Amino acid sequence: MVRIESTPLRMIVAVLVTCAVAASSLAFTYELTRERIEEQERIAREKALQEVVVDAVSFHELDSEIVEAADEAAGETPVLAVFEAEMGSGSSAIGILVTPRGYGGPMQMVVGLDRDGKVLGVSIITHDETPGLGTKVVSEEWFLEQFSGWDGSDIDSAAKQFDAISGATKSSAGVRKGVIAAGHAYEAVIAEMEGGS
Amino acid sequence: MKEWLAVFRRGLSIDNPLTVLMIGLCATLAVSSKFEGAFFMGLAVIFVLTMSVTIIAILKNYIPEKVRIPIFIVVIASFVTIVDLTMHAFLPGIYTFLGVWIPLIVVNCIILGRAEAFAYHNRVSLVIADGLGMGLGFAIVIMVLAIIRELVGSGEIVFLGSTLISFPEWYRGPGIVLLFPGAFLIFGFMVAGVTWINRHIERRQVQVSPSCMLEEEGV
Repeated sequence: MVRIESTPLRMIVAVLVTCAVAASSLAFTYELTRERIEEQERIAREKALQEVVVDAVSFHELDSEIVEAADEAAGETPVLAVFEAEMGSGSSAIGILVTPRGYGGPMQMVVGLDRDGKVLGVSIITHDETPGLGTKVVSEEWFLEQFSGWDGSDIDSAAKQFDAISGATKSSAGVRKGVIAAGHAYEAVIAEMEGGS
Repeated sequence: MKEWLAVFRRGLSIDNPLTVLMIGLCATLAVSSKFEGAFFMGLAVIFVLTMSVTIIAILKNYIPEKVRIPIFIVVIASFVTIVDLTMHAFLPGIYTFLGVWIPLIVVNCIILGRAEAFAYHNRVSLVIADGLGMGLGFAIVIMVLAIIRELVGSGEIVFLGSTLISFPEWYRGPGIVLLFPGAFLIFGFMVAGVTWINRHIERRQVQVSPSCMLEEEGV
């Protein structure tokens, strides 16, 4: 078997060609799967929204200006999107998609608030927490339920009565941070919506 | 053909990546708590392993020795990303369960190990046999481990939303089986069993004749 000699030029060409072929095949796969992936993410988002705003009939995403204002008000925790949920009774609620940092990285979660600023519920869409420890923030039901009823317009004092899960301190703190950020963002969203209309 | 089968069977029995070579254990212990996760992990590894080693074997005479590892990694990472995107698009539930273990197939020692130790030095047909054999060997062991863990730990086996087997209602499984210590314990017993079987095979080969090399049993 004759193998080509490792001259600098040959090495560069070999690596470049491999990377170019790999990159183009990945771009092709990405294009093929992109629509399906976006669709799946939309479904996951909608499911999470439905979980936090149980009575909602439909959701629509609010403008990027509102999201920007919310993101600014939320501080260091990024706000990705804000949804308005229409209830059957004609009233509405707000769903805020935030990504606080947990122990294993950013967690995507939805916080639902009604028009009085009360937290309706919290649902975690994706996370990278440690299985068996950090994942308790999802599997222990009481943990996410404790946020329901928090006063979003005075979230900082509401956040003082908070129970973390032992063994999942950082993950718990991450979720709490997300809810606080959503509380701050809520203020900005309401101000923006009323100013706009 | 005889040689092809012999190479193929090595991955299933006397050179099984998990129970004999003991490589790639990290992902195995992590995803074997659910059968459906283990099933698709097995499929993903078979696909990535066979495709990568085949491409490497075809190109081996054009890959300069000094940059072979970076090139192997690029080839493997491309196939892993293809699997990652496809799973994300079509199997969102499984994708969420497997999580970081899909991208981590890139650094799974089974694949880089086979690329370096076998694919870079052998002809394409044998490399395909090795890839399929090693991949299937991995998939079978991880699925058996997952069946035991999910059935004993949670009392039922769920596959894509439908329950395949379930224990009676009153059954409460020991939770340890679903956690890492349980995985280690069960895996230990599996290794003991496979070692015992392999020893029998070896003894029989010595007693009978070298031509019985192909009579090995699967895992």
